[in-house]
Amino acid sequence: MTGPRAQAGEWLRERIAVAVSEFTAATALVVLFAVLCFASPHFLTADNLFNIGSQTAVIAIIAVAQTIVIITKGIDLSVGSVAALAGVMGAIVVRDLGFSVWTAALVAIAVGTLAGLANGVLITYAQLPPFIATLGMMSVGRGLVFIVTGAVGVYSLPESFQLIGNGVIAGIPFAVVVTAIVALAAGYLLSESRFGQHVYAMGSNLEAARRAGVPVRRNLIAVYALAGSLVGLGGMIAASRVSSGQPNYGIGLELDVIAAAVIGGASLFGGQGRIAGTIIGAFLIALVRNGSVLLGINIHYQQVIVGLIIWAAVYFDQYRRRRLETRV
Amino acid sequence: MARNTKTRFGLAVLAAAAALAASACVDVRDGGGGDGATTDGPLEIAVVPKAVGHEFWNTVRAGAECAAETAGDVTVEWDGVDAETDVEGQVNLIQNFVTTDADGIVYAATDSAALAPVTQSALDAGVPVAMIDSGTDPQPDEVPLYATDNRAGATEAANLLAEALGEGSHDVALIEFQPGSQTNTERVEGFTTGLAAHEGLNLVGQQPSHSDVNEARRVTEDLLTANPDLAGIFAANEPSVLGAVQAVEAAGRTGEVVIIGWDAAPDEISALREGRIAALVVQNPFNMGYLGVANMVEHLREGTPMESADTGVTFVTPENIDTAEVQAVLEPSCDNPPVDQ
Repeated sequence: MTGPRAQAGEWLRERIAVAVSEFTAATALVVLFAVLCFASPHFLTADNLFNIGSQTAVIAIIAVAQTIVIITKGIDLSVGSVAALAGVMGAIVVRDLGFSVWTAALVAIAVGTLAGLANGVLITYAQLPPFIATLGMMSVGRGLVFIVTGAVGVYSLPESFQLIGNGVIAGIPFAVVVTAIVALAAGYLLSESRFGQHVYAMGSNLEAARRAGVPVRRNLIAVYALAGSLVGLGGMIAASRVSSGQPNYGIGLELDVIAAAVIGGASLFGGQGRIAGTIIGAFLIALVRNGSVLLGINIHYQQVIVGLIIWAAVYFDQYRRRRLETRV
Repeated sequence: MARNTKTRFGLAVLAAAAALAASACVDVRDGGGGDGATTDGPLEIAVVPKAVGHEFWNTVRAGAECAAETAGDVTVEWDGVDAETDVEGQVNLIQNFVTTDADGIVYAATDSAALAPVTQSALDAGVPVAMIDSGTDPQPDEVPLYATDNRAGATEAANLLAEALGEGSHDVALIEFQPGSQTNTERVEGFTTGLAAHEGLNLVGQQPSHSDVNEARRVTEDLLTANPDLAGIFAANEPSVLGAVQAVEAAGRTGEVVIIGWDAAPDEISALREGRIAALVVQNPFNMGYLGVANMVEHLREGTPMESADTGVTFVTPENIDTAEVQAVLEPSCDNPPVDQ
C-alpha cells in the first residue's frame, strides 16, 4: 500500500514528465516552422497557413479520439474504416434523402458512435483485447463501406455539402474552428472532469481503478463511443472537403493518428498523454508534408522523415523521463 | 478426465467429418483448362481487379460480364482487394482461385514483380491466365495483356497541355498516384517524354496522391502555394484529378490553371463540361474486361491462343464529349459495347 503522499509525488512526477515531452514536440514544431520560413518564401503566407490548417483538421480531430483511447491503454485501429463509413453515409443521406449537410454530419457522428459503442462492448463484455476488437471493426467497417456504396464513390452532391470541410468563418477554415472546439473540449474533459481522472486511472492500472470503485466497463464503453463520434465527425469533414464519399478514404489513417499521439507524448502503455501534445504532433506531421511539397522533396523522403520524427520524439521523451525520475 | 475424453471424441468426429468433406471434393476437377485441352460445358472465370472501389474497375466488371453473357454459360467470379497497395492480399486471392479450380483467371496485377510467381503457379496448375490493365514482369508468352498503352496516352496528355497553354514558357506539375506501380511509371514516363518535345513547358513539381482524393487535394494545394505561376497540371488518375480540381477551385484559380486529367468518373465529366478540366484521357476499361473474358472463353472452348491487344484511349474534350463515339466509351453498355467485333 502506498500512502497519499507517495501518490501525490507520483502524480506530480507524471505531470512533469508529460509536460517535458510536450515541450520536446513543441520545440520541434517551432524549429521546423522557423526552418520552413527561411527555406521557402511561400511558407509563411496567409494562403499556406490556411491550407495547413484545413489539411490538419481531420487528422487532428481523429488523433484526439485516438489519444483518449491510448490513455486507457487501448488502441483504435478502426479509425480509417469508420471515418470512411461515416463520410460515405453522410454523403449518401444528402444525395439520396436530400438531408442538409448539418443533418448529414449528425448521421456521420451517429455512425461513428455506433461503431465506437460496438468496439467498447466487444472490449468490456466480450473481453477482446482492444487491438483485436478494433482490428475486427477495421475490417467490418471497410466491408460495410463497400456494401453501402457498391464500391463506387458517392458523387453528384450539392455545393452546400462542402460547407463543413471548405467553409470559412472570419477568414479561418470552419474545419479548424471545429478542431479547436473539439481539442479544447476534450482537453477540459481529460484534465478537469471526474471522467478524465478515471480515464487516466484506468490506463495506469485498470485493476486498481476497478477496486477504487471506478465504473470501468461503463467508462471504457464511453471512451470508445466518444472516440467513435469524433472519428465520425472527422470522416464527415474529410468527405465534405472533397465533396464526395470516398470508399477508399482513410486506409492507413490509424498510423498517422497514432504517430501524432505518440509524438505528442502519449504512451502506448497507458495512463499518459494530453490533447495539447497530440495537436502539436498532428501539426508536426502536417508541416513535414507541407514543407516537403513546398521544397520539392520526394514523397519517399517524406515518409522517412515522419518515421525518424516518431523515433526521435519517443526516444527523447523516454530519455528525459528517465532523467527526471532519477532526479526527483 | 471426463472433459478430456469428450474433447478427444469431439476431435475424432471433426477429423472424420473433415476427411469425408475432403474426399467429396477431390474428384470435382475434370482436368479441364489444361494445356491445349478444350473444355465443354459451363465455365467459371475469375476476374480480379487491382482493387474494388473505383468507377474504373466497375466498368471492367461490366465488360467482363458482357463478354460472359455474349459467350453464354460463363460465370464471372468477381473479387478484389480493398486497396491497390495490398499486393500480398492479391497474391493470396489469385492463389485461392487456383486452389478452388477456376477455369481461367483474368486479372490486373497490383505489382508487376510480386504477382509474376503466382501467375506461373496458376499455369503450372493448368489454369490459363490473361492479364488486364497491368501485366507482370516477367510475363510468360502464353499470357496475354489487354491494356491501355499508358505511355502513348500520357505523351498525348503532354501534347494536349501544350496545345491548351499555347506559346511561351509555362510551369506545369504532375500529380502521379502510386509510385512504384507499373501503370504509374508508364504514365509518368510517357508524360515526361511528351514534355521533352515542348520546350516551353517546365515541370516544376511532381507529387503522388496515393489514389486518395484528400491527399491529391493536399499536395495540389501545396504545389499551387510553392509555384504561384503554375499554369498547367496533368493528374494521372481519377482520385488525383478530383483532388487537383478541388484544390485549384479552392485557390480561386479555376480557368487560370489548365488541368488535363485521366479517367472518366461522373464528377470528372461534370468538371469537364463546366470547363474546370480541359481534357480527359479516357481508357476503355469495358474493353479490357470484355477482351479478357472473351478471349479466355475462346481459348478454353476452341483452344485459340490468346494474343495481347491495346484496348485504346479516347481524348475527351468539351467539344467532342457528346459525339456517339465518345458516349459509347463513357457510358458503355452491353447493348452498344465500345469494342471492335
